[in-house]
Amino acid sequence: MALKGLDIFKLSPKKNCKECGSPTCMAFCMKVAQGAVSLDKCPYFSEEALATLNSATAPLMKTISVGDYKLGGETVLFRHEKTLVNKNLFAVCVCTDCADKADEKLAEVAKVDYERIGERMYVEFIHVANKQSDPAVYAELVKKAAATGRHLILECWDVECAKAALEVAGKKCILDGATPDNWEAMNELATKAGVTLGVWASNISDLYDTVKKLEGKGNKNLILDVTGATAKETLANAVNVRRTALKQEDRTFGYPSIVNVAKIAKGDDRMQTALAAMFVEKYASIIVMSHMSYAQALPLYGLRQNIFTDPQKPMKVEAKIYPINGADENAPVALTVDFALTYFLVSGELERSGQPVNLVITDASGMSVLTAWAAGKLSSSTIKKTFDELDIAGKIKNRTLIIPGKVAVMKGEIQEKLPEWNVVVGPLEAVQLPKYMKDKEYEAGAKAAEAERAAKAGTVVEEVKELSFEELLQTRVPKIEIVDMGVQYKGHNPESKTFVTIGERIHCIAPVIRKAMDERDPEPILKRAAEQIKAGATYLDVNIGPAEKDGPERMMWAVKLLQENFNNVPLALDTANMKAIEAGIKVYNRTNGKPIVNSADAGSRIGYIDLAAANDAICIALCSADGIAKDNDERMVHCDNMLERGLSLGMTSDDLWFDPLFLVVKGMQDKQMEVLEAIKMFSDKGLKSTGGLSNNSNGAPKHVRPIMDSALVAMCMMQGLTSAIVNPNDLRLMETIKSCDIFKNHVLYSDSYLEV
Amino acid sequence: MSFAPKTAPYSGKVNAVTLGTGDKAIVIGGQNVLPFYTFDAPIENAPKIGVEVSDLAASWDYPELKEFYAGCVTMADYAKKAETLEGCDFICLNFPGADPNGMNRSVADCVADAKAVAEVITKPIVVVGCKNVEKDGELLAAMAEALAGKNVLFMSAKNENYKTVGASVALANGQKVGAETADDINLAKQLNIMLKGLNVNPASVVMDIGTAAVGYGYEYAASTFDRIRLAALAQGDADLQMPILAAVCNDTWGVKESTASEEDEPAWGCREERAISMEIATAAADLTGGADAVVLRHPASVATVKKFITELV
Repeated sequence: MALKGLDIFKLSPKKNCKECGSPTCMAFCMKVAQGAVSLDKCPYFSEEALATLNSATAPLMKTISVGDYKLGGETVLFRHEKTLVNKNLFAVCVCTDCADKADEKLAEVAKVDYERIGERMYVEFIHVANKQSDPAVYAELVKKAAATGRHLILECWDVECAKAALEVAGKKCILDGATPDNWEAMNELATKAGVTLGVWASNISDLYDTVKKLEGKGNKNLILDVTGATAKETLANAVNVRRTALKQEDRTFGYPSIVNVAKIAKGDDRMQTALAAMFVEKYASIIVMSHMSYAQALPLYGLRQNIFTDPQKPMKVEAKIYPINGADENAPVALTVDFALTYFLVSGELERSGQPVNLVITDASGMSVLTAWAAGKLSSSTIKKTFDELDIAGKIKNRTLIIPGKVAVMKGEIQEKLPEWNVVVGPLEAVQLPKYMKDKEYEAGAKAAEAERAAKAGTVVEEVKELSFEELLQTRVPKIEIVDMGVQYKGHNPESKTFVTIGERIHCIAPVIRKAMDERDPEPILKRAAEQIKAGATYLDVNIGPAEKDGPERMMWAVKLLQENFNNVPLALDTANMKAIEAGIKVYNRTNGKPIVNSADAGSRIGYIDLAAANDAICIALCSADGIAKDNDERMVHCDNMLERGLSLGMTSDDLWFDPLFLVVKGMQDKQMEVLEAIKMFSDKGLKSTGGLSNNSNGAPKHVRPIMDSALVAMCMMQGLTSAIVNPNDLRLMETIKSCDIFKNHVLYSDSYLEV
Repeated sequence: MSFAPKTAPYSGKVNAVTLGTGDKAIVIGGQNVLPFYTFDAPIENAPKIGVEVSDLAASWDYPELKEFYAGCVTMADYAKKAETLEGCDFICLNFPGADPNGMNRSVADCVADAKAVAEVITKPIVVVGCKNVEKDGELLAAMAEALAGKNVLFMSAKNENYKTVGASVALANGQKVGAETADDINLAKQLNIMLKGLNVNPASVVMDIGTAAVGYGYEYAASTFDRIRLAALAQGDADLQMPILAAVCNDTWGVKESTASEEDEPAWGCREERAISMEIATAAADLTGGADAVVLRHPASVATVKKFITELV
């Protein structure tokens, strides 16, 4: 909870003594609120005021640790507001009334234990309820439960029984025993044993009072058993407790909670499933069930995994072979990426086909097929790596490899890297898979690939000597023809303060550009370049795709093509192939500005900074490390690390352009201001910044995007953004940028500035 | 009492939409609090349960389910039987068989089925097309005319066909229309606005906001529910105050947990129990998020979800 300056001022001594170095108490408090000075610079705050201020900055809901687990610590009521932090845990109950069934039940608990998308799914707690008064009887049952190795919840209101139970329970347990009647004795037991104390009362008001009393005794290691007499009452308790803590900011209820659905569903297993599903969403930290069968676990753990997914992190599945429909080593292989939604879609459709097939998931940083391909996270090398690491060829005999239709362009490269496989291009969309598999449409392709391989096998493969850039340039790069496109690049002064637009339209994700790059066909590329230059782009981005095979000659060709045709237009070189960038820079003309390397990040692409430094280029530095930074603290850590690296390699800070990573409004509306604040932080450090600004309006209707993009660019320029990767053909956006440059006093005003 | 929880009824309210006619008519929506938040304000209309009747029901190979519908041949037979379930508030007619990529049943055949159903049951009807945008345009238009006067809800108009579906269903035949989008509050709002622009009365619109089986990207559905309901109630956004129908059965019966055989997954136990459990858990999650009506397939799910709703309102 960030405190405002005025809140602190209210508690300040208001002496204006200046001993702290500030002219007035008000000024001092404002600085404290900003974090510029610490409160202890003032010796005159009362003890009471300090205590109030300290507690005001404490989290609203405590995180309680029980053994290996963390409970609570939530900051929001709904996951879209930020994220939910600590997933609900499940317990299965045994009790002294039915102790004869305990062995059987405890054995059952161990059976549900499986992995789903990288998460182990099992029953975390055994709930041991005491319904009698003989300490030995209860201790006996607790001992049995403890022997399972699971954590324990001891539901026991009898002090003597609880005492006996704690002696045999170990440390990894909760004593769910305090009530309005016995809280003092239970508090002593729990404190002495060093375990979390559960609190229950027959109504929420008594619960509140009992927590207050326990806190008064100094115990803040609590969990609230909010189970009421009915489902209705229990939901009311769970919601009111959480809402009181987070919305009314009353920390008395700022504790995790236990909901016992076994009690309220009274023996109806299916009803327990329904109620448990509700309490996964509505605020139970631990859900107690009478059983946990697979039929119950599969939906409930699946739901929990979804609800507690961080909205900012893509869900990834493990890279491995997933045999489908009883596939054995003789079934064909289909390949896709590790983005969880892609996996579910593809595996679901493959299952529907009824055909045995080995689905191989390859590591692609949790991105979808095309995104991963464009980012270089899905390439013939990454696929080869997966095949080697998982020893696919050793595990599967069939040699048919079906790749996603969207990356048909990779077929040749994959075939080369995996020469013993018959690579076939699969359908474009997952829904086409059942038919494709049923009709065995892949067979023809596999045969053709095999024939091709056989034909090649006879010929002696010539030893390929790696050519130098100079040799490549001489032998592999077609001569550039100069075509009059009716427009010329006007030139750019690198010292100018005006906003730098980097035109994004020459990108391999567009099929027409991909084809033109493959065929070295100048026309489509020149056309898009001319449009962007005419629209006023400062730089042009050149994305040649991952280009694993022929990257250097591709990039040299593209750079020469564009610069020779358009008066040395400055370029941003964009590919996952670092050699290609190096080659491009070798033929690059710097008249209108240094080349830009697009892009480094703080994770696996950190080496791009070294590349830029070695070649005296500008480098776009994405403030993330394989995934969106979770907040601005993390963004700034990445920023500092990359800055330090660049400077140590002799770069100037002006040549590192930091990218906060623009987020799509549709999915992350609540994160937009954070991105804007990040830009201000870059600017305050004196750093330059850029980024794919139009990502914000992805998925919005076409006619709305220019409006959103131009509003955002204006806000960003106010925050100090110095460049952006945009579509320069967006007139509204370009006019907004020009106008903002006027307001920022970067260019002289004239009535006709929009035409200039 | 030292502690009195702060209650939070909202000024915004979900539209109350009536389906069907006569004494079996039902109202869905009408709440001004979050789902089951009876402690904030009373729930005006409890969420409703629809029972699925499909033109591909003959292929349902689960023993208990088969047993329940034993002897049923036509959709009318199934509907009559489904109507007897305690907890069944309406019948939902599904026509997956009309999909041109599947059996491609003719519009005329489907309309005949729907008419036959309407003649033998008294509870309200909801019609779900085959999900093929073009075919649904035709199918729903023809059915809206054939079932005129029955106050039927037709699912659904989408971005691609809302003009045909909206015009034929709501404007020409005065029926209720569903507006379907996929897990996106912005698209949901946009479609509602476009239907309004077509002169469809917002009080005749029910939303399908795109759901999923639990475990299958359900986080998108959950957050869409939360955001839409908060927009309707807390911000009083009239373009998002339509009640929500979730066709749970369409999400859950096709996933692995419900379909994998006991031979393939020996540890998982009874296949039918798994399918029921998936349906119940997904329905409970949808209702907790804000569904005002859910459509279910299995009689056991209907019984449990009915009990769930009754205990919570």
